Amino acid sequence: MKRRGFLGAAAGTVASAACGPGRPPPPVVEFAGPDPERGHHLREGTWREGPVHETIHTEVALVGAGVAGSAAAWRLRRAGLTDVHLFELEDDVGGTARGGELPRSRHPLGAHYLPTPPPGCPALERLLEDLGVILGRDARGRPEYAPSAIAAAPLERHFGRGRWYEGLYPAAGETADEAAQWARWHAHLRALDGRRGADGRPLFAIPVARSSAELRHLDAVSFAAYLDDLGLHSERLRWALDYACRDDYGCTLAQTSAFAGLHHFLARGLEETRGGFILTWPEGNARLVRGMLERADLGDRLHRGAAVVAVDPHAGELRVHRPADGRRLRVHARAILWAAPRFVLGRLLVGADPLPAGALTYAPWLVASVEVRTAPRGIGARLAWDNVPLAGPSLGYVVATHGEPADQRRPGAVLTYYEPLCGDGPAELAAQRRRLLAGDPSSWSDHVVAALAAMHPGIAAEVSHVTVTRWGHAMIRPVPGLLFGETLARARAKIGRLRPCAADVAGLPLFEEAFYQGSSAALAALADLGRSAPDALADELPA
Amino acid sequence: MSAAPGTRLLLASVLVVATCGLVYELIAATMASYLLGDSVTQWSLVIGVYLSAMGLGSWLSKFVARDLHARFIAVQLVIAVVGGLSAVALFYGYAYLASVRPLLFSILVIVGTMVGLEIPLLMRIVGDGQELKDTVARVLAFDYVGALLASLLFPLALLPHLGLVRTSLVCGLFNAAVALACAWVFRAQLARPRAVLVQAALVCAALAGGLLLGGRLERLAERELFDAPVIFSEKTAYQRLSITRSGDDIRLYIDGNLQFASSDEHRYHEALVHPALAGVAPRRALVLGGGDGLAVRELLKYPSLERVDLVDLDPGMTRLFGRDPLLVRINRGSLSDPRVRVHNADAMRWLEEHVRTSSEVYDVAVVDLPDPNNFSLGKLYTGSFYRLLRRALAPAGVGVIQATSPYLAPRSFWCVVKTLAAAELHPRPYHAHVPSFGDWGFVLVSPAPRPEPTRLADVPLRFLDDALLPTLFVFPRDQRPPDVDVNRLNDQLLVHYYEEDLRTLPGRGGRG
Repeated sequence: MKRRGFLGAAAGTVASAACGPGRPPPPVVEFAGPDPERGHHLREGTWREGPVHETIHTEVALVGAGVAGSAAAWRLRRAGLTDVHLFELEDDVGGTARGGELPRSRHPLGAHYLPTPPPGCPALERLLEDLGVILGRDARGRPEYAPSAIAAAPLERHFGRGRWYEGLYPAAGETADEAAQWARWHAHLRALDGRRGADGRPLFAIPVARSSAELRHLDAVSFAAYLDDLGLHSERLRWALDYACRDDYGCTLAQTSAFAGLHHFLARGLEETRGGFILTWPEGNARLVRGMLERADLGDRLHRGAAVVAVDPHAGELRVHRPADGRRLRVHARAILWAAPRFVLGRLLVGADPLPAGALTYAPWLVASVEVRTAPRGIGARLAWDNVPLAGPSLGYVVATHGEPADQRRPGAVLTYYEPLCGDGPAELAAQRRRLLAGDPSSWSDHVVAALAAMHPGIAAEVSHVTVTRWGHAMIRPVPGLLFGETLARARAKIGRLRPCAADVAGLPLFEEAFYQGSSAALAALADLGRSAPDALADELPA
Repeated sequence: MSAAPGTRLLLASVLVVATCGLVYELIAATMASYLLGDSVTQWSLVIGVYLSAMGLGSWLSKFVARDLHARFIAVQLVIAVVGGLSAVALFYGYAYLASVRPLLFSILVIVGTMVGLEIPLLMRIVGDGQELKDTVARVLAFDYVGALLASLLFPLALLPHLGLVRTSLVCGLFNAAVALACAWVFRAQLARPRAVLVQAALVCAALAGGLLLGGRLERLAERELFDAPVIFSEKTAYQRLSITRSGDDIRLYIDGNLQFASSDEHRYHEALVHPALAGVAPRRALVLGGGDGLAVRELLKYPSLERVDLVDLDPGMTRLFGRDPLLVRINRGSLSDPRVRVHNADAMRWLEEHVRTSSEVYDVAVVDLPDPNNFSLGKLYTGSFYRLLRRALAPAGVGVIQATSPYLAPRSFWCVVKTLAAAELHPRPYHAHVPSFGDWGFVLVSPAPRPEPTRLADVPLRFLDDALLPTLFVFPRDQRPPDVDVNRLNDQLLVHYYEEDLRTLPGRGGRG
């Protein structure tokens, strides 16, 4: 016994000597992303009243430097308009497409990829060309994408029963009936793929508002009910589709409209036949936002950390409060583009909001970027860009360092963890939001690391840094009845000189929707000002 | 206790200990010269360290006062484990450690010390009740006979039939068997006979198990083993470079995969470069991969050439082929030519950067990359990469791509061809026989369609001539294209095809 004790001690000494001096230091844990305090001030109206230090007159005032606001700024600049001011509540631009940086790598705080656009999106292609994502065109005029922006294989794997499998359909151990249902689902999609309605429009278009009227009635039912009608009950199939809904919309199968669910699979053409790519960057879609703002070249007309605290749409007047120095601005604009979440507007409007409060619902999300000293591996399929567990509420993690070229590869990685906090109605969503905001950084960090450790036992010892981002209102939820209903029409209706144009008033939380909302609103504002945009493309013209 | 059976067993032990001890030394020396090169130095160092460790062991034996039998068995088991696993440990150490030397000398010192400790212990056990002169005579006689046995068995029987891994495991098993037999015969002298027997049996079982797995272990391990002595070996940040020499034949291996043999590399590099340049007077050339400078050597035969940009990931590689006198003789100093610029970068990243920031285009591009055996390399065979390549070529430019073997890896080869066609590069596949690789495939590409080349430029060539040239573009009936898909950056089918090709054709050589 004594000898065994000694040998054990000796082995322990050797092992700890091999692992370096003692335990690794505990990880640095902190919050990143939007500051819930500022949202709180807007809701409570505490910044609403106060003396004005400065007055600005401008042609167009943009509110919100997320994708829609940046796209509008970019589009106005392309049309030659420079008298534009952009107000962003947070200290950094990006909205839900914000990016962050850890010592090892840049990483996303939210939205992080864009599928290459299908044919029929020349305005979006023009943006990607302008940003250098499209390098040129082939002999048939199809865009050629910069390889550095393409998410490279291996793209996806999922974790179940202790090992990793390629792809995002849990095929291992499926019955013949389940396989047949999977095949039937694909046959169903193939039958709809590329089809146009009697009105000549695609059944599922980007932007979604351009979709044919033919299948719009599917927006009235839930995706889950739609699958029930098709007799598709396979748990595996439904897990894969539920995952897609949670990933894209922050909603479960039962909470997503069938039209929105099908739109995800069909709007860009079927994945297996469309020949497209997924475009991504270490910092996610923040790269695109920064690109648009650089080209918009606003200079000091881009106001960061500037809270719009009151809006008079008919007078074209905004009150802006800068919490950093307490300075207040009055802004007179001939046109206002509201590229911030629509629900915020109701609280700031002078006069009544045509949209009832609470008409739109938003999904809260928890996102965390985890810096690890060694990249995770696991049994089975190799580390992919997107790594998804079958069990639990999280969507797994995306590897921010996935696309690093060989000559820049270093040990370690940054993993960005995503978890939508799904809820059935406003009350459940509010409870989720309270839970999200109640936790301190270390409790959320523990939550995230525990979820990672369920896939990678022992990963906790590798973690050097965790940034936790809490999105109270990350995504508009495309619940049944939203997309083509009265609510959304009211939400995007012009009020006085103000046009709401963030992705939420399009009904789908997608980069494409935000881009088209922003650029169409920019063109509409130009028309309001009596200016023309001769290079306007059909797909970006206001509908 | 009756002396006779015990003594006979002990003398047999001496023979086994001596034989196995020397075999371990020979294994270490062989591996040192294989893996580290410079065999004279390695052999002298190994012998010197091993003998001095034996001396250390002999000296240490004076501190062993009691329990001679138990100590002898313990020593025997240590030798069995450390010696028996030495070859496996060295192979894996070579593959995974930055330097294998510390491991090599640790093994040598442990085994040497134990063997040195063992003979005096044996003498004392055997000599119990005998005259010193008799003991020394008998023990040392068996010791030296064992040495002779080892020096004959190792090169003639063990190495050729068992290989290094199984030879060391077999010797370890012998050591363990001696320990087990001694534990049984001398159980009366042991304080805890049962524990010792169990230990010895466990070591026997572990080594026997290793031997059963030996074939697999060895195939994994001996991929790192070469046919000829290694004269240089370096683990760079990206890969292990090994250079072997046998007579005049110098070979480069990257991670154990043959890249060229100097005896026939002229066939490979003439076939790679000159068909593309038939009818072209190139001014600007781009070489992707090819850090050995051999493709550049062929390009520099064209007097019209003004500049070559060579992009190779590994600065270790281009430094070696830019400086080492032996290698510079093979590439004729091509990497030091004033017309050549070396860029150490990821080819995809470099090319994208070039296409973005420069309007400069190339008259010829030579893509000479290692085979697509992983995703990092596979992306350099995708449509996205070839589209960049097309943008980097002049409208009337031409390129050539090494595309694995159409015979050994047909799905891979034709997948490359199909991917090039989808990237609008008008591929013309061809192949040449390179003895050290086998049938090897290349693809001519150009942004605009070009006729098949018929006349080579007037440059000095040893392999190609105008009569041979058109035959390279002919594929026999058993090499028609199989049904394959294009290789896209987001699925990298080629990496799967290549893995499949290798699985269905085991024992291939190739460039890896």
